Amino acid sequence: MPKIWILRGLKKGILTTAYPKSQPTSEEVPTRSLPPRPTDAADWPAGERGCPTGAIDSGDKKVDLGRCVYCRFCSSAGFAFEDGFGSRAGAMQASLTGNCATGTRHIFGRSFHVMMIDVGSCNACNLEVLNLSNPYYDLSRMGIAFTNSPKHADALIVVGALNQAMVDVLRRTYESMPEPKLVLSVGACAISGGIFRGAEGFVSPAGDAIPVDVVVPGCPPSPVQILEGLLLAAGRLKEEGVRR
Amino acid sequence: MSRGSETLNGGGVERRNLESLGEKMQLSSVFQAGGLNYALISDMETNKTIISELPPTLSEEFGALLRGSGAEPGSPLVLEAGGRVEGYGVFEFSYGPTSWGVPEAGAFSLMTYGERILKVVPRLNFKKRGVERAVLGLTPEDALLFVERSAGNFSAAYSTCFATAVEDALGLGVPSEARWTRAVALELERIYNHLYVFGRLAEAASQNIAATQTHALRERVLRLNSRHFGHRYLFGINSIGGVRRGLPKDERSALTTEVRLVAREFSELVQYFLSSRIFLDRLQGTAKLTRKDAFGLGTVGPSARGSGVQWDDRLTFPLEPYEDIYVNLETEDGEDTMARTMVRVREVESSSIALRELLDRMPSDGTKSGPDRRRADGLGAGFSFCRVESPSGDLIQVVQLDGGGRVSGLHVRPPSLVNWLPFARSLEGTVFTDFQFAFESFGLSFADSDR
Repeated sequence: MPKIWILRGLKKGILTTAYPKSQPTSEEVPTRSLPPRPTDAADWPAGERGCPTGAIDSGDKKVDLGRCVYCRFCSSAGFAFEDGFGSRAGAMQASLTGNCATGTRHIFGRSFHVMMIDVGSCNACNLEVLNLSNPYYDLSRMGIAFTNSPKHADALIVVGALNQAMVDVLRRTYESMPEPKLVLSVGACAISGGIFRGAEGFVSPAGDAIPVDVVVPGCPPSPVQILEGLLLAAGRLKEEGVRR
Repeated sequence: MSRGSETLNGGGVERRNLESLGEKMQLSSVFQAGGLNYALISDMETNKTIISELPPTLSEEFGALLRGSGAEPGSPLVLEAGGRVEGYGVFEFSYGPTSWGVPEAGAFSLMTYGERILKVVPRLNFKKRGVERAVLGLTPEDALLFVERSAGNFSAAYSTCFATAVEDALGLGVPSEARWTRAVALELERIYNHLYVFGRLAEAASQNIAATQTHALRERVLRLNSRHFGHRYLFGINSIGGVRRGLPKDERSALTTEVRLVAREFSELVQYFLSSRIFLDRLQGTAKLTRKDAFGLGTVGPSARGSGVQWDDRLTFPLEPYEDIYVNLETEDGEDTMARTMVRVREVESSSIALRELLDRMPSDGTKSGPDRRRADGLGAGFSFCRVESPSGDLIQVVQLDGGGRVSGLHVRPPSLVNWLPFARSLEGTVFTDFQFAFESFGLSFADSDR
């Protein structure tokens, strides 16, 4: 039996993404290239309230990526999607927040233990984080590993729109982590509440409850985007998104 | 009584008095609409959906459910059936709401004396976002954004269910191509969710090769979703009156081929792994749910079919394409984790066959309805409902619209919510290591039940 598995494995070739040695493909980060639009965008009803999450500033047409849930109502409303997201290839890219203490990040080097906490997500972000360990992304090749306990974690991935029932849990989880520690807000809900920012269950962005170092926008962000956020958090990315 | 439920799909719906609730009937949901209380009943004998007004006595009994027990965000919903377990050394072991074994926010109280699980009490609402209230007053188009984010991995089921109910209330004629495209999305969603369940079970049994290979196959399906529908989790595919993007002819054959390949590879994998004694030992006889309990507790989806309950909304409440498409009702009599897994394994195969048929025979009459087909009268006259077979089972939504065509009421009966008690029952008397097998095989999602 094992022999068969070796053969099967070899026959499959390498599935794993070339990222971070080269830029991710559009298949790996679908939100960065424009996905299939509505067949005839002009005929579709646009969201009544314009941008449903208030991500687009109608004045200067800037897009707050942390709020965008990628509903594409804007493309139906005649607002050119590309304009707002800029020509930068890194639209929807993970970025550091002001909190991040740059000095200590490098000590995580090649051993970086990460814990995920769900504070009220729709399960899509959770699944994308779990997907990081599948052969296509294989995060263990970069010395990053998931851990069950905050006591063993260097970084905390927060997903979901922070719920009242989870505020205390989130704080206590954060407090149990040893110093130095990093926090990643993954997905629009964790960063800004996303579509749920006006919903009853939503309390505040995760960043208001605990200090957040890295934000990874998207609804949900693809695994490569989350990986990018993790590498950025560990100080292993140069500006252009490729490993240093 | 709504016009909606009468017109919907011509069949399967009739009105009856609740007093005649027979042996083979199951109370699927209770809801309020227009000041009246209704019950939605599944008749397992004739495969019909029955809407009945609740008599006042029963309304009182279901009062908490009707008002939406634990509907307040932040208030816990504790699903406890039966009394406390007492005995020498029995204590309460609290699991969650943060754990890696269950990668979601939800908790369990396990009654145990150390090894055996005597009782499981799921504690929900850690992630209640309040979708049903958030959509009130919105146009159905805007409401879709919330509805499809109720449960990310059942998004196609949620949005199709909501859109169909709204279209029905509006009397909006939807072209067949749009309905068939929705069915394609539903089947893709079913396939990747079933692959997820198998992968997680393999992980739990430490069958790492099986797990990684299955997760790799699932990634392929997610990429297919992304390529053909524009989103890995099928958000934003539906609109009221159609789908946002149709499948062009050349894409259909490519999609068919890819899905066939995935299904074939998966069945090969399953062949290998179900010849592994170690894996089988972990599945067979684990977390038994008898047919009587499965029916009595109102279990839905593959979990119910694994215990021999014959109900699949694709056959018993067929929306348009499913009347024309051959879907096999997959049931097992094993009543254990193995049976539930086998139902899912076979459904991957039957879904891929259904997909091929859907894509081959898809009509080409456009992907959205014209504005002229909208019926202007009768808005606010009642409610309309829809049932869709999500990957984990029967999803029910009841939608009310006001005179301006805005959502004035939404009732969701998620599949996971009714599967918690059967899950808890199946774990009674098992050991801790069986917990994950039971949890994954039921395909439970906290996001789905909390919404």
